[in-house]
Amino acid sequence: MSKFKKDGGKASPQMNTASLPDIVFMLLFFFMVATTSKETDPTVEVDPPEGTKSTDLTPYKQRSEIDFLYLGAPRNPARASAFKFGYALSLDNVVQATADGLYSTSAVSRWKKDKFAQKPSRMTAPLEEVITCVKADKTAPTGIVFDIRKQLQDIDALTIAYAIRDKGNI
Amino acid sequence: MAKRAIPEINAGSMADIAFLLLLFFLVTTTMDRDQAYVRKIPKKIDVPLDQDVEVEKRNILAIKANNQNQLMVRGEVFSDPSKISEFILKFYQTNEKVNDPSNNFPMYSTTTLALCEQQMTELDSQIEEAERVGNSKLAEFFLSSYDEWNKKKQALKLYGKDEMRELAVQAHIRIEVQEQTAYSIFSQIHNEIEEAIFELRDKECMRLFSESYGILKRRHAQDSDPKDKSKLDLLEILYPARIIEVTPKN
Repeated sequence: MSKFKKDGGKASPQMNTASLPDIVFMLLFFFMVATTSKETDPTVEVDPPEGTKSTDLTPYKQRSEIDFLYLGAPRNPARASAFKFGYALSLDNVVQATADGLYSTSAVSRWKKDKFAQKPSRMTAPLEEVITCVKADKTAPTGIVFDIRKQLQDIDALTIAYAIRDKGNI
Repeated sequence: MAKRAIPEINAGSMADIAFLLLLFFLVTTTMDRDQAYVRKIPKKIDVPLDQDVEVEKRNILAIKANNQNQLMVRGEVFSDPSKISEFILKFYQTNEKVNDPSNNFPMYSTTTLALCEQQMTELDSQIEEAERVGNSKLAEFFLSSYDEWNKKKQALKLYGKDEMRELAVQAHIRIEVQEQTAYSIFSQIHNEIEEAIFELRDKECMRLFSESYGILKRRHAQDSDPKDKSKLDLLEILYPARIIEVTPKN
């Protein structure tokens, strides 16, 4: 009566997975080429404004010639009240008060000087040409950006970049 | 001697290793590119000027934003910030072909090849004079303006005509914001300036070299060809982007 056999039958053929590593390696190489490494996870909230016709900093970044600083509300809201307008600077993941706030007025210029001193010798760009990129939240007060700018001017680091999120392709 | 068979290596875990690497890269990298407006900060002056520099009103394009994020361009309130670039275009183009003193926009002057050469020989003798006296700072100053004229001369040669129209040296765009102006407004102003300058240069680039300014710029960023550099220099001389960011007062 039983036309259908429950067990036995043919075992499903084994799939050949020899080329699986190749596929994964291909994926790996794609990601290695198409991405750049994250510098740090900033400790302040940054949602950059949108814009167009900006300069692409990726080539500089791959040569690690840029110093990034972040400006936004601290991720820990309890601390926000300690800062000027409630916005804090993040330099290398260390939250600083804004340029003339809690800690020290020379935080930015000291940080920039340290960064410049630590640059490997193959980077020959003088201090005034080393780009300092300000990544600020879209609600951040511009006064703080100008405070940063003043600090950079004092030590003759004369190139600043205002980060945005580019809407266009070019 | 009998050959020994090479034992086969089990490659079954190769995929695991590759996956591990892949995951590592996925986690530590970002896809988004860093885009920004790059600006120069003026050098600090040691001795403050005792007198303000006179600038004609027509040469100033003041873009102001206040604490409430309201915009004002040349005394006019702009409710739509995306209209600023049109105004900037007007600022550049009104007197481009013919100077008309009756309007309130910057004038253009005509630069010729003969003028460049005359200035260069003059500066040459001035450099020699300064070096003879031993005033190295003055010599440096003359040398930099010599370079500027030389740049203009090269640009004119590339331009292919005997003369070109040049925007008044003092003409500039001025950004005046207040302390609590949102960064988005500030970056939007930069965006509008960049857009206007791009449009002007792109049009000229199309006309002169029949290619897009964006492509030219990108190619120069990639393989910095001196030919592209001189083209970019020419476009920069034709439509200079002079931006002054005024530090807000407390």
